Amino acid sequence: MTIFVWIIQGFFVPAVSPLCVGIIRKLKAKMQNRQGASILQPYNDIRKLLHKDEVISRDASWISLYAPYIVFAVTLLVGASIPLFSAFLGNALTSDMLVIVYTLAIGTFFLALSGMDTGGAFGGFGSSREMTLAALAEGGFIFSLLTMALINGTTNLFTISNVDILAHSQYFLPSILAFGGFVIVLLAETARFPFDNPATHLELTMIHEAMILEYSGKRLALMEWASSNKLIIFIALGANLFFPFGLAHDASMSAIAIGIATFAFKMLIFCVAIAVLESSMAKFRFFRLPDLLITSFILNAVAIGLIYSL
Amino acid sequence: MNILFLQFLVGLLFLTVIFLHLTKKNFAAVMAYGIQSLIIGILFLNSFFETGNVYICIMVLLTLIVKVVLAPLFLTRLIKKHNLSFSVSTYLNTPLMLIFIAVLTVVAHSHIFTALTTIIPANQALLSLTLSSLFLSLFLVINRRGVLSQILGMLSLENSIVAFIIFAGLEQSPSLQIGVIFNIFVWTMIATVFASMIYEHFGSQDVTSMKHLKD
Repeated sequence: MTIFVWIIQGFFVPAVSPLCVGIIRKLKAKMQNRQGASILQPYNDIRKLLHKDEVISRDASWISLYAPYIVFAVTLLVGASIPLFSAFLGNALTSDMLVIVYTLAIGTFFLALSGMDTGGAFGGFGSSREMTLAALAEGGFIFSLLTMALINGTTNLFTISNVDILAHSQYFLPSILAFGGFVIVLLAETARFPFDNPATHLELTMIHEAMILEYSGKRLALMEWASSNKLIIFIALGANLFFPFGLAHDASMSAIAIGIATFAFKMLIFCVAIAVLESSMAKFRFFRLPDLLITSFILNAVAIGLIYSL
Repeated sequence: MNILFLQFLVGLLFLTVIFLHLTKKNFAAVMAYGIQSLIIGILFLNSFFETGNVYICIMVLLTLIVKVVLAPLFLTRLIKKHNLSFSVSTYLNTPLMLIFIAVLTVVAHSHIFTALTTIIPANQALLSLTLSSLFLSLFLVINRRGVLSQILGMLSLENSIVAFIIFAGLEQSPSLQIGVIFNIFVWTMIATVFASMIYEHFGSQDVTSMKHLKD
């Protein structure tokens, strides 16, 4: 049964991530009084791109050719290594907080390299912007996970999610502060408002889209899919580390079903929150973004300070 | 009242002070102050349940009327009257401001203030947090240029002091505290009128424009 659960765990992120993007797009369309595409449209887009031919720049090196596979593989690995619907699947090798953070950083690194590889102006500035944000978001990301690690006394993400939420109720305030910081990082790392507009190709605003502008066909499909995977990875981290309830604690069918249903509910809440946020605010100017990321870092620093004083 | 619930309330009070620092929208700041005052009202209600003193019940009602309803109402009217939706000017830039917030929080929790935070050892965590809120409110008054933000900083400072006093067991007689709430009411009215006059005279809520007072 455990092997069966591991298989679900491995396929869960790539299978559900396009749905997550579809829900956000649908909700945004509804808020703009539009009908919007079906929530399954991202699956159709990926299938369409996987069947299309590719145009590859003659200046493209091996980085451009292999980066989509690396970026996608990174999200698969991380997706299989974090608590999604169960809290008992932990492994000491890849479920560590720092391993997750820096494995994701490998994906960001290759994404930025692929943007610059063909020598295009758009790719170059996209990579430059991405690395600026990634460098600033890294601190907030690590510190928000570190806050939860300090509260629970472990850096293993499955162990952190395998606690009774009321057992550490005296750490309510540090947890809330860390969650606030984490949400800012979530928006930055997944290229959502107010950091990036995932629906635009305007020169002035795009970050993630600028880096993958040179891609087409199968490789573009992998890049888009990896981006969706990353979104659900961050949602899972936020949902299961800061609100660790409803997770399966054993491999029984009922526990797994409840775990999946609870995670689907949490995911829906995050999707609604992101859609509301993106419909109610404008994208920030690039030079205001560091302030927001430093806010994330400081909120987490305050949270860690409070943990030591409690 | 359960100690965890009290911790939750004080945590919320602390979060509202941080929010007052971070928000750029005056309406949101006034709402945060309203929530903060509601927390103080609930803390007074807790005292009423513990002591059964009728005067404290009156204090709860006065707190709700003056701080939760009237003060936000005055400030909201001021914002609407002069169309002051945004207040973004601070003396320190955002990163420095955030570093100061972190430092003040750590200092309030450090051994420097142990004498204050251990007045009632069982409430040390709560007292440290209210002390942090107190420092941060004071910092809000110092750091913001807008007169509305400064008014909110003063009111937040008063709320933090009240919360500190409650957990330190230094509550004065209810009649004196009722007098303080009346004082706050009068002060809020005067401050709102004064802020309105500043805007009408200088065309700005920025207190630095008052250096041209002689003109």
